Amino acid sequence: MRKKTKITIDPKYILAGLFVFCIILGIISFRFENKMTPVRSAVSSVIAPMQKGINAIGVKISERMDYATTLKKTVRKNKKLQSQIDKLSAENKLLQQDKYELENFRKLYDLDQQYAGYPKVAARVISSDPDNWYNTFIIDKGSKNGLKKNMNVMANGGLVGIITEVNKSYSKVRSIIDDNSNISGTVLGSSENCIVSGNLKLINNGVIEVSGINGDAKIEDGAEVVTSQISDKYLPGILIGYLKDLKKDSSNITQTGYLSPVVDFSSLDMVLVITQVKDSAELGEMLK
Amino acid sequence: MKIKRYLSIFFMIVFCFLMQTTVLSHFKLTNIIPNLLVIMTSASGFMFGRRYGMFAGVICGGLMDLIYGDVVGVCIFIFVLIGFLNGLANKYYFKDDLSIPLSAMGLSDLAFGMLYYICNFLLCGRLDLLAYVKDIMIPEMIYTILFGVILYKFLYWLDDKLYPPEEIPLHKNDRLY
Repeated sequence: MRKKTKITIDPKYILAGLFVFCIILGIISFRFENKMTPVRSAVSSVIAPMQKGINAIGVKISERMDYATTLKKTVRKNKKLQSQIDKLSAENKLLQQDKYELENFRKLYDLDQQYAGYPKVAARVISSDPDNWYNTFIIDKGSKNGLKKNMNVMANGGLVGIITEVNKSYSKVRSIIDDNSNISGTVLGSSENCIVSGNLKLINNGVIEVSGINGDAKIEDGAEVVTSQISDKYLPGILIGYLKDLKKDSSNITQTGYLSPVVDFSSLDMVLVITQVKDSAELGEMLK
Repeated sequence: MKIKRYLSIFFMIVFCFLMQTTVLSHFKLTNIIPNLLVIMTSASGFMFGRRYGMFAGVICGGLMDLIYGDVVGVCIFIFVLIGFLNGLANKYYFKDDLSIPLSAMGLSDLAFGMLYYICNFLLCGRLDLLAYVKDIMIPEMIYTILFGVILYKFLYWLDDKLYPPEEIPLHKNDRLY
């Protein structure tokens, strides 16, 4: 037996104590989410400004590295592109004609109007999730800039995700490829409803999961999927991605397939937040 | 209580957390980032003992849970457990040997992946364990070990500066010839 002058607790008991402490914390944060918010925002208001600064350095470094590696490729590509320009300018004329047609289609779907109608705020992605299991990130706008929980986030003309937490000047966004994300969508052209769910396993292949499409519906590969009218958090008509490899389930009642998102999630830098919340409570009042 | 050591662990972890969430996400390999927090927890447990390991675990898990987690407590416990188990291996700690601490780090990262999978994915009904092992845990482990070499060496150097190894004092009557 060692003799010590100070009273020391055996690490075993510290471990047991921490275990109990964690369980209590877990229960508190699960049942009374609001109680933890001040603690969370206190911690992130210290960490987030530092992240913002360091991220700026990170962007610069990666830009430098990209610059060196891409320079060689660019020279090679430039030659190839020159020859393509001639070909494309001929094609361009054809496309101009198609454009008129497209505008007609747009009017048909009323999409153009809806996109322009949503008020938007631009935000910069300042940090991403510290582990490889989830796909959430933090943007540099918060309640100070009028953001609220459940606002939709877009980039490159497609849906990126939804705001799950708002602090004073920072907010947390859960992307649609996150394993916890489920969105109800509509297949354009056939107006079939479907469920788009993020899947950690599939995103390495650049796709996410689509399920619940009516078994009788005939849908071609490459059909556009937009957020549906019946979604309770997502505004209708935002493009999510393109359908791929649709197959009938064993039950023959529904079809399941893959969806390749419009947004490139590996290089997300600037995003647009739609500052309009689809409030299902409002809808409930209307139905009364 | 070696307060300077606790403080150095704390600041190292905050630094690692900042790096992991910002700069490192620009250096992803096959969509995977190394888990510096596991390295810090494992290394402080392995180098300094169970108490330090658990202290590092609380900081790492706390940061992760409070800023990115949904249910606070899950990560804290996983990290504390890793710190504690690494602390048990403290008696195999020799100064210049790298193989044991690095394998401890690798195992810790694997254990972290498994526990995290069980707590957050298995309970949601995602049963395809092998795919997660292949796509996430193994690449993360390898990448983590690579970074582990650097961090471990640095932590060792830092602690050597803070607490220089004691020299055996000469007795009054001893003479140096």
